[in-house]
Amino acid sequence: MNRIERINQKLKKRFGDAVRCEEREGCRYMTGTLASWQDVVAACEMAADKYSRVHVVNDIQCREATPRPPRLPSLRDQALEGDTPDVLIVGGGISGVSIARELSKWKLNILLVEKEADLALQASGRNDGEVHPGIDLGKGSLKHYYIRRANAMYGRVCEELDVPFRRVGQYVCFEKGYLKPLVGLYCAWRKYHDGIEDTRLISKKELRMREPNFSEDFRFAISNPSSGCVCPYGLTIAYAENAVMNGARVSLNTAVLAMEVQNGEIVSVQTNRGTVYPRLVINAAGVFADDLAAMAGDRFFSIHPRRGTNSILDTKAGHLMHSIASIKEISLQKTHSKGGGILHTVHDNLLVGPDAVETWEKEDTATRRQSIETVFAKQKKTMPRLSQGDIITYFTGVRAPTFEEDFIIEPGRKTKNIIHCAGIQSPGLTTAPAVALDIEQMALAFLRQQKPVEKNEAYNPKRKGIPVLREMSDEKRSELIRQNPDYGVIVCRCEEISKGEILDALRSPIVVPTVDGIKKRVRPGMGRCQGGFCSPLVASIIAEEMDIPLSQVRKSSAESVVTYGKIGG
Amino acid sequence: MKQMDVTVIGGGPAGLAAAISACKNGAATLLVEREARLGGILKQCIHDGFGVVRFGEKLSGPEYAERFIDELEKTDCEVRTLTFVTAVKQRAGGFEVHLVSRDGVETVFSKTLVLATGCRERTAKQVAIHGTRPAGVFTAGTAQHFTNLLGELPTRKCVILGSGDIGLIMARRLTLEGAAVVGVYEAKSTPSGLTRNIHQCLHDYDIPLYLSHTVTRVFGEDRLTAVEVSQVDEHMRPLPGTEEIIDCDALILSVGLIPENELAETLGVELSPATKGPVCDGQMMSMADGIFSCGNALHVNDLVDYVSESGEAAGKYAAIYTGGQRQLLDVACTNDFLYVVPQKLNLSADNSETAVYFRSREIVNDCRLVLQIDGREVFSKKYRFLRPPEMEKLTIDFSKYDLHPDSEICLRLEVARV
Repeated sequence: MNRIERINQKLKKRFGDAVRCEEREGCRYMTGTLASWQDVVAACEMAADKYSRVHVVNDIQCREATPRPPRLPSLRDQALEGDTPDVLIVGGGISGVSIARELSKWKLNILLVEKEADLALQASGRNDGEVHPGIDLGKGSLKHYYIRRANAMYGRVCEELDVPFRRVGQYVCFEKGYLKPLVGLYCAWRKYHDGIEDTRLISKKELRMREPNFSEDFRFAISNPSSGCVCPYGLTIAYAENAVMNGARVSLNTAVLAMEVQNGEIVSVQTNRGTVYPRLVINAAGVFADDLAAMAGDRFFSIHPRRGTNSILDTKAGHLMHSIASIKEISLQKTHSKGGGILHTVHDNLLVGPDAVETWEKEDTATRRQSIETVFAKQKKTMPRLSQGDIITYFTGVRAPTFEEDFIIEPGRKTKNIIHCAGIQSPGLTTAPAVALDIEQMALAFLRQQKPVEKNEAYNPKRKGIPVLREMSDEKRSELIRQNPDYGVIVCRCEEISKGEILDALRSPIVVPTVDGIKKRVRPGMGRCQGGFCSPLVASIIAEEMDIPLSQVRKSSAESVVTYGKIGG
Repeated sequence: MKQMDVTVIGGGPAGLAAAISACKNGAATLLVEREARLGGILKQCIHDGFGVVRFGEKLSGPEYAERFIDELEKTDCEVRTLTFVTAVKQRAGGFEVHLVSRDGVETVFSKTLVLATGCRERTAKQVAIHGTRPAGVFTAGTAQHFTNLLGELPTRKCVILGSGDIGLIMARRLTLEGAAVVGVYEAKSTPSGLTRNIHQCLHDYDIPLYLSHTVTRVFGEDRLTAVEVSQVDEHMRPLPGTEEIIDCDALILSVGLIPENELAETLGVELSPATKGPVCDGQMMSMADGIFSCGNALHVNDLVDYVSESGEAAGKYAAIYTGGQRQLLDVACTNDFLYVVPQKLNLSADNSETAVYFRSREIVNDCRLVLQIDGREVFSKKYRFLRPPEMEKLTIDFSKYDLHPDSEICLRLEVARV
C-alpha cells in the first residue's frame, strides 16, 4: 500500500467518505466536506508528512468556516500605476523587510507593498519577540537549517540596525527529577548533531540562584544561553528603514488584488494603487501567502491560521525574572509551535504567552478572556508569583503555518518569477536574517538570467535609531536637550518619552503619522496608563507636525477615526 | 546643586496647596509640574461643584485652580513647569531630585519631598475587556481631555462603562455636545460616583444607569462599531445568555482611579493595599522619613476640597520637619471600613487636630462610628448614612487620650445594616 492509500485509509476510518486525499504534481490535494474546522485541520494533518516538501493543499469545504475576505485598505489611487520594479516584495512583516534590506545591497528597483497602515501589523508585531536557541527543532526541517546561523547573526544585525537585543538566556524547566539523565543525553545529542555548544543542564540550586522566583517544584532545567529577546516590530521597522535608506521603496496601505500570469510568468500585479509590472515577485504575505501563490498560478501549499495571545505585564513585575522561561510537560499529545512561556522583554516588561488555537480566520486578532486564563494557569506553574493584576495589555496574533509545519523558501514551482517565503511561524522572527540572505541569492540568480546585477556602492548597512533619552547619562541627555529642547519635554510619563523623540518618529525614513505608528516607534502609550494621559498630546503633536486638523489624525488605518471634529461644530 | 527645603512633585490641587503652605511656613520651596500649566486635572474639569466645602461656592475646576495659582504667585515658591522628575534618590539629610526640562537635566537637593502626583485611570485591559482593538476606547479622563482642552468631539454615540464620577460628568458633557449616551453600565450593584452626580448628570438628562452590567466585548476593526454588554452575578462575573450588542462608536471607561506612586515605590515607601497610597501618619508623612504624601496620590478623594486640605497639611509639616525619631502607633479599623487615613499616629508629634479620612465598605444607614482606645470607647459620632463613594472626614483631638507607645487605637462602626 502506498503512502496515499494509507492516508486515505486513515481518513476513512476517522471521517468516513467525507474527505479524500489525492497526490498530483507533488502536492496532496484534500477534498470533501467537513462540519468543523478542527476536523479539517485534523484531516489535513493526517495527510501531511512533517517537514516534507510535498505539501497538503486544502480544498475541503468546511460548513462552520466562512472566511471573511482579507481586510483591504480603502485607499484607491494610481500612485503606483505603471511602476516597473525589478523586485516586488509582498508583505511588510519581518520576512519582507529583511529581504528588502538585503536586496538593497544591489542596484535594483525594489518595491515593498504592505496592505496595512504600518509595517509589522500582523504576526511580526504580534509575537513574543524571542530569539530562539533552536534546541527543539526537527532535523531536516528548514527551521532547523536556518536557526543556528540566524541566532548567531542577531548581535551583528541588531547592532547595525540600532535595535535593542539582549541575550538573556532561556530555561526549559522540568518538574520530574527522574527525567534528568534522559534530558542530559538529549542535550548531548543536540550538541553533537546541531552544534549547539552552550546548552547544558543546570541543577535546581543553580536555577533558583539565577531565577529565585521560579517554582520550587522544578528539579532541573535546560539552560540555553544563546536565547535572547528583541522588540519584534522595532526590528521590522528598523530593517525597513535601512532598506529605504538604501533606495528601496515601501508602499503602505497597498494590497495586491490580482495578478496577470502568462506562460508561467507574472506579467502584472494589480494593486489598489495601480498596476505594477515587476520582473520578480517575492511572496512574504504571511497568512495570505497561499492566496498570493494561488493568484500567481503557483498554488502548492495551504496555510492554516493559528492564533496566539500574549499578555504584557507592568515593568513593576519585571524584577520577578530576567530571562525566558518555558515549562516542559512531557506528554504524548502532539503540539505545534511553542507552548508559550514568560519572557523579560527588552523594555523590561514581562510578556506571558502565547497559547495556540486553530482558526479559519486569517485576521482574527480579537482577544478572548479564555486565552488569558489558560496562559496564566499554565505559566503560574513556572512562576507562582505571576499575577493577572499586573497585566497592562494583551494582544492576539495569527501564525501562518503550513500543514507540514515548516517554512517554504523556494522559487515558484509552476510560475517562474516568484520566490516564496511562506509558512513562516515560530521561529520565523529568529530565522529572518538568515532566510533573507538566502532569498537574496535566489533573487539574484533569477534576475541575473536576464541581465547582470550591479552592486549598490552606496549601500550602508547601518541605520541609526531614534535616540532613547531615558536610557542616557545625564551629560548626554543634557547635550541632546541643548541641541533640541523638545527632548526635554516629557509627553508620555509612563515610558518617559519626549516630544523630541515623537517628532523624530514623524521625520523618520518611513513616516507613519498615526497614534499607533508613533507608539510602535517611540513607545508613548506603551506604559501602564496605556495612553490615557498622552494619547491626546501625541495626536496633537501629529496634527501640528503634519499640518492637519486633529480630527484627521488616525489611530492606525484610514478609518480608525479618533475624534469627529470640533465640538459645537 | 540647588538646595531646597521642600520639593513638591505635582502641580495639581494637592501640590498647589502644599507649595503655598510650605512657603507660608518659611520653607524654600520648589514646585515641579510636568505639564505646561499648573492645575493638574482641574484644567479639564470645566463643570462646577468645586470648592463647596472650602469656599462655600460652586466653582469650575479652572476657577478653583486659579485661586490657588494666584495665591502661589504671592509666595516666593520656585515653580518649574514642563519639568519632569525622572528619579529621586535618598541621600543623607534629604533627597536628590533629578529633573528634565527644556533646559536640560538638573539635580536639586531637597530636605523633604511632598508627593502630590495624583492618580491615573484604570484602563480597558485592566478590567479585562476583550475583542478587537479599534479607535474609540477612551478612559473618561482622556475623552474629557479631547472635549474640554482640545475642543474635539471624541464620540457621537457611546456606551459608558463604570459609574465613577468622571464617567458621569462625561455622560452629561457629551450629551450637551450633541452626542448620544446610550447608557452608563456599572458592574457593581451600587453606583460608584457621588449621588449628586447620579442626579445631576444622568437623571436630569434621561441617561439610563444599568447596575450589575458590564461590557464583555468590543467590536470594530478600525473605529469601534459596537460593544457587547452582559449582566453580571454578585461576584461581577458575566452571566451567559444575557449578552446584548449595542451599536455605538465609543466605549468610555470610568472604572476606577489608581493613586500614582511609582516614584514613591522607587524610594521604598510603604503603600497601603487598601488606599494604594503611602501609609502615613497624622502629619501626612509616609513611613519613609521626610517623604510626605497628599491628595489623590495618598488616597482617592471624592472632593477636591479635601485634596487641597491634605496638600496644605503635607506642605506645612514638610516645611517644619526637623527629623528625629518617630514613635508610631497603628490606627486600626475594623472591616466595616474600606480604609482609614492616616494609618499611623506619631506620638512625638502634635495630634490635637488630626484630620481622619475614611470610607465605609458598604452602604450603611443609621450607624455610629466609635473610636476605641485600649478597648475603651473614647469618642463616637452618628451618621445617618455612609456610602463608599462618599469619603468622610473627621477631626479628632488625639492629644487628650493620654496615648502611650502600647496603646491600641481602633475605629469601628456600629451599624444597622440595610
